[in-house]
Amino acid sequence: MGEFKVHRVRFFNYVPSGIRCVAYNNQSNRLAVSRTDGTVEIYNLSANYFQEKFFPGHESRATEALCWAEGQRLFSAGLNGEIMEYDLQALNIKYAMDAFGGPIWSMAASPSGSQLLVGCEDGSVKLFQITPDKIQFERNFDRQKSRILSLSWHPSGTHIAAGSIDYISVFDVKSGSAVHKMIVDRQYMGVSKRKCIVWGVAFLSDGTIISVDSAGKVQFWDSATGTLVKSHLIANADVQSIAVADRCLISCSKKRQLLLFQFAHHLELWRLGSTVATGKNGDTLPLSKNADHLLHLKTKGPENIICSCISPCGSWIAYSTVSRFFLYRLNYEHDNISLKRVSKMPAFLRSALQILFSEDSTKLFVASNQGALHIVQLSGGSFKHLHAFQPQSGTVEAMCLLAVSPDGNWLAASGTSAGVHVYNVKQLKLHCTVPAYNFPVTAMAIAPNTNNLVIAHSDQQVFEYSIPDKQYTDWSRTVQKQGFHHLWLQRDTPITHISFHPKRPMHILLHDAYMFCIIDKSLPLPNDKTLLYNPFPPTNESDVIRRRTAHAFKISKIYKPLLFMDLLDERTLVAVERPLDDIIAQLPPPIKKKKFGT
Amino acid sequence: MAALEEEFTLSSVVLSAGPEGLLGVEQSDKTDQFLVTDSGRTVILYKVSDQKPLGSWSVKQGQIITCPAVCNFQTGEYVVVHDNKVLRIWNNEDVNLDKVFKATLSAEVYRILSVQGTEPLVLFKEGAVRGLEALLADPQQKIETVISDEEVIKWTKFFVVFRHPVLIFITEKHGNYFAYVQMFNSRILTKYTLLLGQDENSVIKSFTASVDRKFISLMSLSSDGCIYETLIPIRPADPEKNQSLVKSLLLKAVVSGNARNGVALTALDQDHVAVLGSPLAASKECLSVWNIKFQTLQTSKELPQGTSGQLWYYGEHLFMLHGKSLTVIPYKCEVSSLAGALGKLKHSQDPGTHVVSHFVNWETPQGCGLGFQNSEQSRRIKDSEKHIEVEVRKFLALKQTPDFHTVIGDTVTGLLERCKAEPSFYPRNCLMQLIQTHVLSYSLCPDLMEIALKKKDVQLLQLCLQQFPDIPESVTCACLKIFLSIGDDSLQETDVNMESVFDYSINSVHDEKMEEQTEILQNGFNPEEDKCNNCDQELNKKPQDETKESTSCPVVQKRAALLNAILHSAYSETFLLPHLKDIPAQHITLFLKYLYFLYLKCSENATMTLPGIHPPTLNQIMDWICLLLDANFTVVVMMPEAKRLLINLYKLVKSQISVYSELNKIEVSFRELQKLNQEKNNRGLYSIEVLELF
Repeated sequence: MGEFKVHRVRFFNYVPSGIRCVAYNNQSNRLAVSRTDGTVEIYNLSANYFQEKFFPGHESRATEALCWAEGQRLFSAGLNGEIMEYDLQALNIKYAMDAFGGPIWSMAASPSGSQLLVGCEDGSVKLFQITPDKIQFERNFDRQKSRILSLSWHPSGTHIAAGSIDYISVFDVKSGSAVHKMIVDRQYMGVSKRKCIVWGVAFLSDGTIISVDSAGKVQFWDSATGTLVKSHLIANADVQSIAVADRCLISCSKKRQLLLFQFAHHLELWRLGSTVATGKNGDTLPLSKNADHLLHLKTKGPENIICSCISPCGSWIAYSTVSRFFLYRLNYEHDNISLKRVSKMPAFLRSALQILFSEDSTKLFVASNQGALHIVQLSGGSFKHLHAFQPQSGTVEAMCLLAVSPDGNWLAASGTSAGVHVYNVKQLKLHCTVPAYNFPVTAMAIAPNTNNLVIAHSDQQVFEYSIPDKQYTDWSRTVQKQGFHHLWLQRDTPITHISFHPKRPMHILLHDAYMFCIIDKSLPLPNDKTLLYNPFPPTNESDVIRRRTAHAFKISKIYKPLLFMDLLDERTLVAVERPLDDIIAQLPPPIKKKKFGT
Repeated sequence: MAALEEEFTLSSVVLSAGPEGLLGVEQSDKTDQFLVTDSGRTVILYKVSDQKPLGSWSVKQGQIITCPAVCNFQTGEYVVVHDNKVLRIWNNEDVNLDKVFKATLSAEVYRILSVQGTEPLVLFKEGAVRGLEALLADPQQKIETVISDEEVIKWTKFFVVFRHPVLIFITEKHGNYFAYVQMFNSRILTKYTLLLGQDENSVIKSFTASVDRKFISLMSLSSDGCIYETLIPIRPADPEKNQSLVKSLLLKAVVSGNARNGVALTALDQDHVAVLGSPLAASKECLSVWNIKFQTLQTSKELPQGTSGQLWYYGEHLFMLHGKSLTVIPYKCEVSSLAGALGKLKHSQDPGTHVVSHFVNWETPQGCGLGFQNSEQSRRIKDSEKHIEVEVRKFLALKQTPDFHTVIGDTVTGLLERCKAEPSFYPRNCLMQLIQTHVLSYSLCPDLMEIALKKKDVQLLQLCLQQFPDIPESVTCACLKIFLSIGDDSLQETDVNMESVFDYSINSVHDEKMEEQTEILQNGFNPEEDKCNNCDQELNKKPQDETKESTSCPVVQKRAALLNAILHSAYSETFLLPHLKDIPAQHITLFLKYLYFLYLKCSENATMTLPGIHPPTLNQIMDWICLLLDANFTVVVMMPEAKRLLINLYKLVKSQISVYSELNKIEVSFRELQKLNQEKNNRGLYSIEVLELF
């Protein structure tokens, strides 16, 4: 089927940042997650928990609160004192508004979704009215002594509960005055004498307020009388969650065997090693040259990197932050590398969601967050803007996945919900649109020679669409008719990368976080009764049996979690792994609890 | 009280009833006149009060009536079908059926159905339904096929529910029964599969149905002689889906299962059914009236000349073929009074009617464990419990309601309030059913367990412990107290769920032998091992006794099942410990003995698990041993009878420590091996490997 030399790379020292807060939207079944580096990600829980959208972080922004308001609008507030609204279509920050109350610790949208409440460092609770395109400050509530760490609305919207340090206040929304102030006991069973921070409050419809605090208590209060109803000491423990981003953080230069790793604030360029030895399946070959760390490129400014790319020839590196686009030219002289920034980027190339170089490295494709696609001609050390495909009139949806055909004639671009658009690069016009599918696209690529576009969706379906014929290929129709193997559909991580073998047109190479797969279109598809994945090499089976049981899906699960896998040349693969143990080793140890010995 | 009055024969004219009996008896538009269709060629209109025929019509020689004549209540005309496809409509003035209106249809008719207040419906043999008017407008219209090949319509009935015509028909195919409910106005046809339950071989002999607001209550008389009830929702939740219906037993053995003659069943009103058939295989045929709510036989009448196994009921008259002639038995059901129930109201009993003595009275509910109480008060409560149970069962059959959770919650709260107000009221079966809906929790109905604790109803407590996720530790402990203190004899009467218990007694003999022969070290612990003790001289002398003691279960099976429910329940030790201190010391010892026994059973196999479906886990056992000792050590240590147990436990711990220290040693060696292995496997941060895909 295929024998490869695999460069097994584990030096991508990526640690996902911790999750600070989450907000769930019931209507659209989406989860917004903010991380400690300020990144906000949106997961579509109906589409296999696929990370649908993301907003890059910023050093100065520490998001402390997230909430959804009426009409699927997402707001965040943080320690920089600003309330921000995110544009979920164009994938940028719509506006940021200073609440003038110092760092914001908490935020809550009213049950009707039309009002927004923030709790600030200076002890103020501020009410904002949500207008169709902005928010408007309405009123301050009675100022409290210390910071407001948690907020909760009564389901009727008439009262709110605010958790602070050592006490909980109840406000009347109409008058803005504090109705009750409930002092939380600092000591509980003589455990703690420090300040008691009320981390969370919940207001129930019957008027009960539930609070959780730093002393580990869960307390029930009666908001009408302001008295403590019940108190429970619970075992409190911190929860650390880990998620490896689905986003593409790695790109590779096939010609020079380079890997570009993207971190929040820097890029790393590595050259792969080499070997002259050969071996059989499973062997580790002695290295004649180890991998080198060539370059460490730090960004300027507080903004996180959104995306980055290295050209296939290895002489260009492009990356983008929210406000600036950077392009570098690399020169190789023996072992020395010199880096030169291409200055005077045009104004429209401000912020990119996705960058892609053509196979021959002469063209650069940039998906901007305005929905436009720019084509830039690169030659020598300079560049020339060729064309911009403007988004379809009326839509502002940003494109976040790009694929270019190896001959450079076709460019496919996909947004988060609508179908995939295919552009003719030569004639600079829209060629066709692949029909929209219910689930977002997770990866796509255009095959050499045939110009078939292979698209993977978050529900694990894979389609093959012929660009010249403007229709799904026969193979794709056969697959849809027969259906994928049930174990294939049960996988829970999306396909993140698709590539092709230059010499074997029937092969499609794809991978997700836990497996690498070659689909051989010439072989029959597996049905639900056949074994999809056989970890053992067929040793003592006769050729006949092997041929009879062979099916199109050739799967390897050796590498995991697999962040990136691509074909360097006909016989060489590169696989980037990020072992979970290495990430866990960098996390704080879990809390240990003694159980017996009363 | 339901009663049958004296029978009378409608005519001396011998009807040409074949072996199959009559084709049908149908109502006409005048209250007291009925259309009787025999199985040959004749339709006769009888006036029952005069006991004489008013008219008679016959089809031509060579033709045969295939569907009983009915009256179209809207026009007063009569409709009949002969030769399957030919429809005839006539009225009282017509003399010759050959000359009346005739329409030839394109498909074979199964039956024409007509009730007061709506136009007649025509049900075709293939399951399609048409209104008569629509059919007459175009008699040759195409009739679609609804039911599958070899599926045969067995029975049908037509209702008007809130002015909406509803048609139900039952089909049979290879011993499987299907119910189709057609809402005629909305043209929704819903198909249900009738599940026959365990007794797959039973054949349904007769059907009848009554209707209330939400359900069609379909009753069926099976070949095993029992009457079953199936509730079919009139408005289906999802008409597209093929749904299954479960039948429930309504009355047991009302007729003999293997009677030669036909049996028939018809619903008289909400609470009464009439059954035609022989109560015993050898006895003569009987017409009996049963109260289904209280499962009592109300009255019965012998029919010595035999019947055709057909029964019709209209107004106040039951029609059947007795011998060769059509017999009418008037039926009356007067409102029963307390005086009547007590026997103070004298019933004028007809000499012809007498209660057949070999019927069993099913009125007393089975095995409540509360004893039979004779007072009228308790009977009233029993009746109302039974009534509530029936209502709850009906409600549970219709699970799809959106407010299901709230209704269940309200029902339980209501029942419990009444329980508290009336100490003798305890609708146990009903509560059990409600708990098993999985929607209740302790916090929803804290009174439930309180009452069960008061009644010492261990079965209900076990069910609560299994179903409720949020039982406070104090209540768990109260349950434990009852489980430990309840006498073995009262346990014998209860019906606790034995799922978590494995029959230890069978195994123990075998184990004992094995132990004697090979002295297997049970995961490092051997109760006979006594190298280390110098405190139990007594034990040294009789190791044999000890083996016996440790391998036989210290509690009876039912108690073990109850204790296992405690072991499975969730708790937080901080809250449990103070309550454990309140349990008497001898009960603590008993529980510890049981736990120790479980531990020994666990250590018999390598996986350290107990046999059975849902046994307690080793962790649960160990946690409870620790908890009990933590809470009661000072008390237990003073008890002479607990001494041996404590010594055993001490040795258990000691041997565990030695096992673990051995394991630690092994772990170190393993770690070294792993390190070696890792060095081989660990390719560091970068390597080039060969991969071959097959």
